[in-house]
Amino acid sequence: MSEQTKKRRPVKTGYFTVPENPAEAPRLLGSRCEDCGEHFFPRRAVCAKCLSERSVEAPLGPDGTLYSFTFVHFPLFGSMKMEHVGYGVGQIDLPEGPRVQVPLAGKQEEFSVGMPLVAELESIREEGDTEVVILRFRPAVAAGGAR
Amino acid sequence: MRKTKLHDVAVLGVGMHPFGMFPDSSNADMARIAGLAAMKDAGVRFDEVDASYVAQIFAPVMTGVRVMKEFGLTGLPVQRLDNASATGSAAFFEACHAVSSGRYDVVMVLGFDKMTSMIQETSMNTDPAYLEDSILPAGFFAMWATRRIHERGTKPEHLARIAAKNWNNGALNPMSQRRPDKVITAEKVLGSRMVAWPLTAMMSCPIGDGAACAIVGRADLAKKLRPDRPVVRVLASDLQSERYERGHLFMGPVVGPARMTVDTSTAVYEGSGVGPKDLDLVQVHDAFVIEELEYYELLGLCGRGEAEACIERGDFERGGRVPVSTDGGLIARGHPGGPTGLAQIWETTLQLRGEAGPRQLERARTGLCQMMGGGSVCCISVLQRS
Repeated sequence: MSEQTKKRRPVKTGYFTVPENPAEAPRLLGSRCEDCGEHFFPRRAVCAKCLSERSVEAPLGPDGTLYSFTFVHFPLFGSMKMEHVGYGVGQIDLPEGPRVQVPLAGKQEEFSVGMPLVAELESIREEGDTEVVILRFRPAVAAGGAR
Repeated sequence: MRKTKLHDVAVLGVGMHPFGMFPDSSNADMARIAGLAAMKDAGVRFDEVDASYVAQIFAPVMTGVRVMKEFGLTGLPVQRLDNASATGSAAFFEACHAVSSGRYDVVMVLGFDKMTSMIQETSMNTDPAYLEDSILPAGFFAMWATRRIHERGTKPEHLARIAAKNWNNGALNPMSQRRPDKVITAEKVLGSRMVAWPLTAMMSCPIGDGAACAIVGRADLAKKLRPDRPVVRVLASDLQSERYERGHLFMGPVVGPARMTVDTSTAVYEGSGVGPKDLDLVQVHDAFVIEELEYYELLGLCGRGEAEACIERGDFERGGRVPVSTDGGLIARGHPGGPTGLAQIWETTLQLRGEAGPRQLERARTGLCQMMGGGSVCCISVLQRS
């Protein structure tokens, strides 16, 4: 659906990667405490578990498990695209520990609590020759190219 | 060491401006009506008020002191406080502990807001670039409901029954934003517009305007000022923020971990010497109906996993084991913001005095008020007639 010739930039920097290769899944930009090993998203300077200030960056995901979800019957914030009126949001547990809340790609009937998901990027608008992208999760079983 | 127990603190008076849509009333207009009503109810003049806390969420600077001038200019300390939905409750918490510590004898807690203008302002100030802006409150709480359905087999009918109860309680409250003239059924709630599956519009609180005021003071003053009626004491009050545990949502959470209500209520039960079985009525932050269902269990009104059976039995309805959201709750009475937690104090105080009119419960000696504030915090107070 999206033209891969266009450049892509994240809607906000510092939260997820935008890989050069469009086939590669994005990762969330989190941090890890060097003292107790707890992971966080987004990045933290001070560990919320042990209060250590020894924090390092840690890419998280792109896999996740669906903890809960809903489908919201109003437009996706910041999106100019009609298909985003009525959209899914989920709470997703990342394998490293953090839980995140992000939009979901797909229809309500495709989702169930506990299912495996994977992160992807989605364009919400174009600015000149650049696509502005958000991070969302889709069912891991569905092939990315299928949609 | 933080203490939740209060020493000889009473609600001296309460007053409200109705909640609803009041495009022609300013914050000062609504606040004046609520404040004058509360002082009259308490039997105090403004020059007998030692200090004031102003509860408002999206106030321009100076709003607190400016609105307080509606009552007079007596030199009293005026402090404005914001803690999202829990703003009014947090101001009440501060006022009660200030009286308990001996700092003041009589304190005015004044809450007012125009949620209508707040929503516009929020949208203007929100950066669409934030990831979390796609998670609106309705969506956030809908995810509580989805998880509950997964874990406990909760049915949308359980949620609808709570909402219908609150709408019908609102019909009996002259201050309520939603006052249906016909009995609201669970079927009608289920048939209303879907907002965020499985939550419908009638399972969600409205936006609106309003004001509420409580005068808090020394319990012995309550007896002197109004010897004609029972004293409503505030036994304990606490406010807690989140504790970290794995799975904590750092982005987009509207209200934090469920555990916060357990921790805060446990602290208040210890401080007050009152347990959940002693409660005759309870007010909660039912901005979305799934919250009320969860709070039944988190406050200890029933055991874990028992909420659905209790709803089916009508335990939390008028005439049930422990009525909840007796004034209509946020869903019917409304949720302007700053005054919301004080509307709970208004309702509980009137019920404990036996002055709740058509809403009056047969047995009303001890009541609990719980509010959540986004960010997030939980604030709980226990009131008792002595």
